[in-house]
Amino acid sequence: MSGKESTMTASKRALSAVVGVLLMVAVVGVVGFTLHSASADPHKKLYATKTAETIVVDGKTYPKATITMGVYADTAQAKEMGYNTINKKDYVQYGPSSHIVLPAHTYVTMTIHGYDGGEKLNAPFFGKVVGTVGGTMNVDGVDVTEIPADQVQHTFTIHSLPSSNRDPLFVNIPLQHVDEGDNGFLPTKDPGTNYKGHTMTFSFITGGAGEYVWNCEYPCGDGTYAKFGAAMSAYGYMSGKVSVA
Amino acid sequence: MTTLDHHASVRPVPNPSKSLITKLNMGTGLVVGVIFALATYYGLGGDSAGVFENYNRTLLATMFMWSIGFMVGIGAFIGPFRWLVGKDLTDEEQLYLAGDGQGIKRYFKYCTDHKVVGIQYMVGVMALLGVGGTMAMMIRTNLIQPGSKFVGPTIYNSLVGLHGITMIIAMIIVVTGPFGNFIMPIMIGAADMAFPRLNALSWWVLFTAIPVLCSAWFLGGIPTGWTAYAPLSIQAGPGMNAFIATIIIFAVSTAVAGANITATVVAMRAKGMKWNRVPIFVVGATMSVALAIPAFPTFMVSMIMTGLDRSYATTFFDANLGGSGWLYAHLFWIMGHPEVYVILIPGVAVLMEIAPVFVRKPLFSYNAAIAGFAGITGLSILVWAHHMYMSGWMPMLNGPFMVTTEMISVPTGLIFLVILGTLWRGRPWMKLPMLGVYAFLWNFLIGGITGLYLSDVPADNYLHGSMYVTAHFHYTLMGAALTGALAGLAYWFPKMTGRMLNERAGYISFWLVQIGFQVLFLGMFIAGAEGQPRRVADYSVNFATSDLISSIGAYMIGLGMIVLLWAVIHSWRHGKIAPMNPWGSKTLEWTVPYPVPLVNFDTPPVVTSDPYGYGKAGN
Amino acid sequence: MSDDHGLVEMEPTPGEKLAAIFKQREVRVATAWGVLVTAIFFVIGGWIYPSWMPTAMSTDMKSIERLIVIFTWISAPVCGIVLGFSIYTFLHRHKGDTPPADGPGFRTNSLVVGLWVIVSSALCLVAVVYGLIEMNSASAATAEHKKNAMVVEVTGSQWAWSFNYPEQGVQSHELMLPINRPVEFKIISVDVNHSFWPVQLGVKVDANRLQTTVIDTTPNKLGDIDVKCAELCGLYHAYMETSGKVMSADDFNTWVTAHQGGHTA
Ligand code: HEM
Ligand SMILES: [Cu+2]
Ligand SMILES: [Cu+2]
Ligand SMILES: [Cu+2]
Repeated sequence: MSGKESTMTASKRALSAVVGVLLMVAVVGVVGFTLHSASADPHKKLYATKTAETIVVDGKTYPKATITMGVYADTAQAKEMGYNTINKKDYVQYGPSSHIVLPAHTYVTMTIHGYDGGEKLNAPFFGKVVGTVGGTMNVDGVDVTEIPADQVQHTFTIHSLPSSNRDPLFVNIPLQHVDEGDNGFLPTKDPGTNYKGHTMTFSFITGGAGEYVWNCEYPCGDGTYAKFGAAMSAYGYMSGKVSVA
Repeated sequence: MTTLDHHASVRPVPNPSKSLITKLNMGTGLVVGVIFALATYYGLGGDSAGVFENYNRTLLATMFMWSIGFMVGIGAFIGPFRWLVGKDLTDEEQLYLAGDGQGIKRYFKYCTDHKVVGIQYMVGVMALLGVGGTMAMMIRTNLIQPGSKFVGPTIYNSLVGLHGITMIIAMIIVVTGPFGNFIMPIMIGAADMAFPRLNALSWWVLFTAIPVLCSAWFLGGIPTGWTAYAPLSIQAGPGMNAFIATIIIFAVSTAVAGANITATVVAMRAKGMKWNRVPIFVVGATMSVALAIPAFPTFMVSMIMTGLDRSYATTFFDANLGGSGWLYAHLFWIMGHPEVYVILIPGVAVLMEIAPVFVRKPLFSYNAAIAGFAGITGLSILVWAHHMYMSGWMPMLNGPFMVTTEMISVPTGLIFLVILGTLWRGRPWMKLPMLGVYAFLWNFLIGGITGLYLSDVPADNYLHGSMYVTAHFHYTLMGAALTGALAGLAYWFPKMTGRMLNERAGYISFWLVQIGFQVLFLGMFIAGAEGQPRRVADYSVNFATSDLISSIGAYMIGLGMIVLLWAVIHSWRHGKIAPMNPWGSKTLEWTVPYPVPLVNFDTPPVVTSDPYGYGKAGN
Repeated sequence: MSDDHGLVEMEPTPGEKLAAIFKQREVRVATAWGVLVTAIFFVIGGWIYPSWMPTAMSTDMKSIERLIVIFTWISAPVCGIVLGFSIYTFLHRHKGDTPPADGPGFRTNSLVVGLWVIVSSALCLVAVVYGLIEMNSASAATAEHKKNAMVVEVTGSQWAWSFNYPEQGVQSHELMLPINRPVEFKIISVDVNHSFWPVQLGVKVDANRLQTTVIDTTPNKLGDIDVKCAELCGLYHAYMETSGKVMSADDFNTWVTAHQGGHTA
C-alpha cells in the first residue's frame, strides 16, 4: 500500500509530521515541567553555620558547624516563634526548612527545640540515641542515651541507602516530649503546644558529600492508620532531605 | 398491566425531533454531572468535616454523584424510565439514538450504534494510553539517575500508581473496546450488539471514571501503587478515594460490556456460523470478557471494603482491630491474576486472526488455539496466591500454587504452536500487522520465560518485589498484549476510518517502540537481578547504569508512540482511501463497505465455512 | 507437517511420520536455526544472571543462582524452537504491495500437536519437580537450623528497619551477623506491610502487622549486606534500606559487647 496518500503532498505531509511530533513532545515536556515545579521544596534550604572552632574526635581533627531546628505543633506557634513557613494544612512540622545542608567531613552540632506533647513510639528502638559523638545527646543540659518510648514527641532520624559510594550516615534523635507540669511546660492558647519546650543538642560527624534523607519515626499523623498518614506521609513536614556538600 | 395501557392511550406519541433525547449530549451530561457533584460536595459540608463528619465519605459521595449526574444528563436513564412508566421509546426515537445521519455529533451522544461506541472506545483508549505513557516518561525521568531529582517521593509514588492503574484500565479495554464493539458484531454477521443501549451505557460509565481518576492528582495523589494494598490504602490521604471510586465505576462498566459481548456472540451469530466457524478473535474476546465477569466484582468488593474501612471505620483490613491485610491481598489477586489474562487473550486472538490473512494459510489447529485459551482461562483462577509467596500467608500452600502456576505454561505453549504452525511454510506478507506477530513471538517468549522464574518459589525469594517483576509483566502486558492491540489497529484501521494507516510512519513507530522496548526492559531486568526493589523513587548508585539504559529505551518508546499517534490522526483525516478489503481477508467485516451501513449488512450473511480457507490444498 | 500425508496408503507409525518430517529441508534449516539459538541461550544462561546478581552470601542465595541458571537452560530449547522457526519464516517473508500467493492449506497435524503438548508438559514437569525439590531441601535445612539458630527480631516501621538480638540483649539499626551460624529472623511490622529483604542472603518475607513471619538462613561468606524493603510502604519506601555485615564470630562478639547496655553509637 505504498503509493501516494490521497489528499496531501509529500512535503506537506513531512512538515505535518515534524510539527505534530514536536508539538506532542512539547506537551509531555510541559507536563514534566509542571510536575517538577510542583514538587520543588517549598522552603529555602537551611544551611549549617560553620564556626572557626575545630574539634578532635578519636585523634582526628574536624571543623565545627552548628544548625538549629524546631518542631511546632501548629502554624500559629511556628509564627510566634519567628518561623514563617508554608503550611497550608496546619500540620505539625519541623522548621524552618525540611531540607538541610551540612558541610562534609565536619563535626556538626545540631540543636532541636521541641514544643510538642507526645505518646508512644510505634517502634521503641527509636527511643535510643544513635550515631552521635559519644552516643549521647543533651536534653536541657543533661546527657542521656535514650528516652523512654512513651515520652517521645518526635524523632529526627537521618538515614541513607546502602551500597552507595556515599559514606553511611545514620543518626537517630528522640525528642523528649513536653508534659503538663514538667519544667518544660508553658502553655500557649493551643492546649497541645507550649512555649518553653525542651532543647536537644547533639553532635555527629559527616562523611563525604552525598544526599541523605531524614524523617520522624514518632507517629504524629493523628487520625490515620498507625498514625503515619497526614503530616507523616506528606513530604516536607516530618520528612525531608539532608545534603552533605 | 392495565395502568400501562391507560398511560399509553392518554399520551400522544412523541415526535422525536421534540423528544428530550434530541436535546441531550455529552455537554448536558457534563453540566448535570458537575451540578450533582458540586451540590453533593457543598451540601455535605465541603472540605470541613461536614454532615458525614468524615471527608472520605464526602469525597466518595461526590464522585459517585458526578457519575450518576453525568448519566442522567446524557439521557442514559430515559429509556428505562420510559419503559417503567409504560411508554417505551418509539421506533423513531430508537433510530434517533442509533445516530444514523447525525455525522460527528453522534460521537458525543448516548449513541447505541456499536460502530460509534467502538470509535468512542478507541479514542478513549488512546487518551488513556497517552496519559499513562506521559506518566511513564515522568517515572523514567525521575529514575534516570539516582537522587530522585525530578519529582519528590509523593509525586513519584502517585506517578507509579496512577500510571499503573491508567494503563491497566486502558489495556483491559484496548481490544474489546474498539474492536470488540466496532468489528466483532460485523465479524459474526450481526446487525448490532445484543443490547445496544447497554453498549452506550458501558462506554459512558467508563467515561465518567476518567475525570474521577484524574482528580486523584488534585487530592494529593495515591501512595499505594495500582495494587492498593491495605492497610497502606487505609492510611492514605484523600486521593485514595478517587482510586476507589474509579475502580467501582469501572467495574460496573466492564460488567455491562462483558455481559453484552458474551450475549452478542452467543445469540447473534449469522446463520451457519456454528461454534467451529467462529473467527478466533471472537472466541478470544469472548473468553476474555467471560473471565472478567467473575473477576472484576472481586476488585469492586475489595474497593468497597477499603472505602468502608476508610470512611466508616470498619476493620476488614486493619489487623489491630481483628481484620487482615492478607484478606485484601487475596481479594485483589483473585481478580488480579485472571485480569492479566483478560488483557492478554484478546491481544493474542487479534494476532491469530491476522496471521492467516498475511501468510495466506489456514490458522494452524483452531482446536489447539481454543484449548490454549480455555486452559489459560481455567487455570488462571487457581493461581492467584503466587503473588503472595513471600507474604507469609501459608508458606505450606506455596508448593500447590507453584504447580498450578507452572501448569499454565502448557496451554500457553499451545498459543505459540498455533502461531508458529500458521507461519510455517508460508511466506508472511510483511505489512505492519504481520510485524506485530513477530514482535509478539519474541516479547511473549521473554515474558513467559521470565514468568517461569517468578513462579518458582525459591527464585521468587530473590525476585519478588524487585524491578525484575516490573520488567516481566511489561513484557507480557506491553510486549505481548499491547503489540497485539496495535497490530489490530493497523489491521482494522481501514475498516474503522475508511483510510489506510500511513505505512512509513507506522514502520518508524514500530521499530522505535519495539527496539526501545527491548532496551528499556533489558535495563530493568538487570536492575532487578542486581537487587533494585520496584516502586522506588530513589536507588543506590550501583543501579545507575541499568536505570540509565532503561530511561533511554523509555524515551525511544515515547517518541515511537508519538509518531504513531501522529500517523493515526493524520491518516484518519488525510490518509489514502482504503479499498473494501485491502488485505484480502475472508472474515465478514471485510465484506461491508465504508461507511458501514447502520445495520451492517443489506442482506444478513450466511456462513458456510470458517474464515481460514486459504491455501492450495485447503478444504 | 506435510500437507499430503493423507495420501499415503498405509498408515505409517508415528516414528516414521516423525522421521518423514525431519527429512524435509525446511524443517532441517529451521531446526539448525533453533539449535543455534538454543546454544546461544545455553551459553549466555550459564553466566548472565550470576554476573548481574550480587555475591551470594548464603546457601539459599547460591541455590537461587543455580536454579535460575538451570531454568535458563531448560528454557533454551524452548527459545530454540520458537525463535528457530520464527527466524526461518521471517527470512522467507514476502515483500511488496500485493499479498503473496496462498501457501499450503494444511490445517493441523495431530502428531505435531501431540508432540508439542508432551514436550511442553515434560519441561513443565521438570521445572515443577526441581522447584519442589529445592523447596523441600530448604525446609529440611530450616528444621536443622532450628536447633542452634541465633534469633534476630526484625521490626519494620515506616520507613526504617530495626533489629533486636534477644540472646545478646542488643538492638541495632544495622544487621550484624556472625558467619556460619544459622540465623532465624522473626519479622513483624508496627504499621503497614513491608518486606524484609537482606539481598545477598537470598531470603525474603513480608513484615505484617501482628503476624510474625519467620525465615532462616546461614550466612557463609564475609561481607556487606544490603537490607531493603520490597513492599511499597508509602512515602519513604525507597529509603527504607539499611546496611549490614556478615562478620567473623570474634568480630561479632566484639560488636555485641560494644553495644550491650544500650550503647548504640
Ligand atoms: C512507554 C511505556 C512504558 C514505560 C516506560 C513504563 C514504565 C514503567 C515504570 C518505570 C514503572 C514503575 C516500575 C516500578 O517501580 O515498579 C511501571 C509500572 C507499571 N506499568 Fe508501565 N511502562 C510503560 C507502559 C506500560 C503499559 C503499556 C502497561 C500496560 C498494562 C503498563 C503497566 C504498568 C503497571 C501495571 C505498573 C505497576 C504499577 C505499580 O507498581 O503499581 N506500563 N511502568
Ligand atoms: Cu513526628
Ligand atoms: Cu498472577
Ligand atoms: Cu517499603
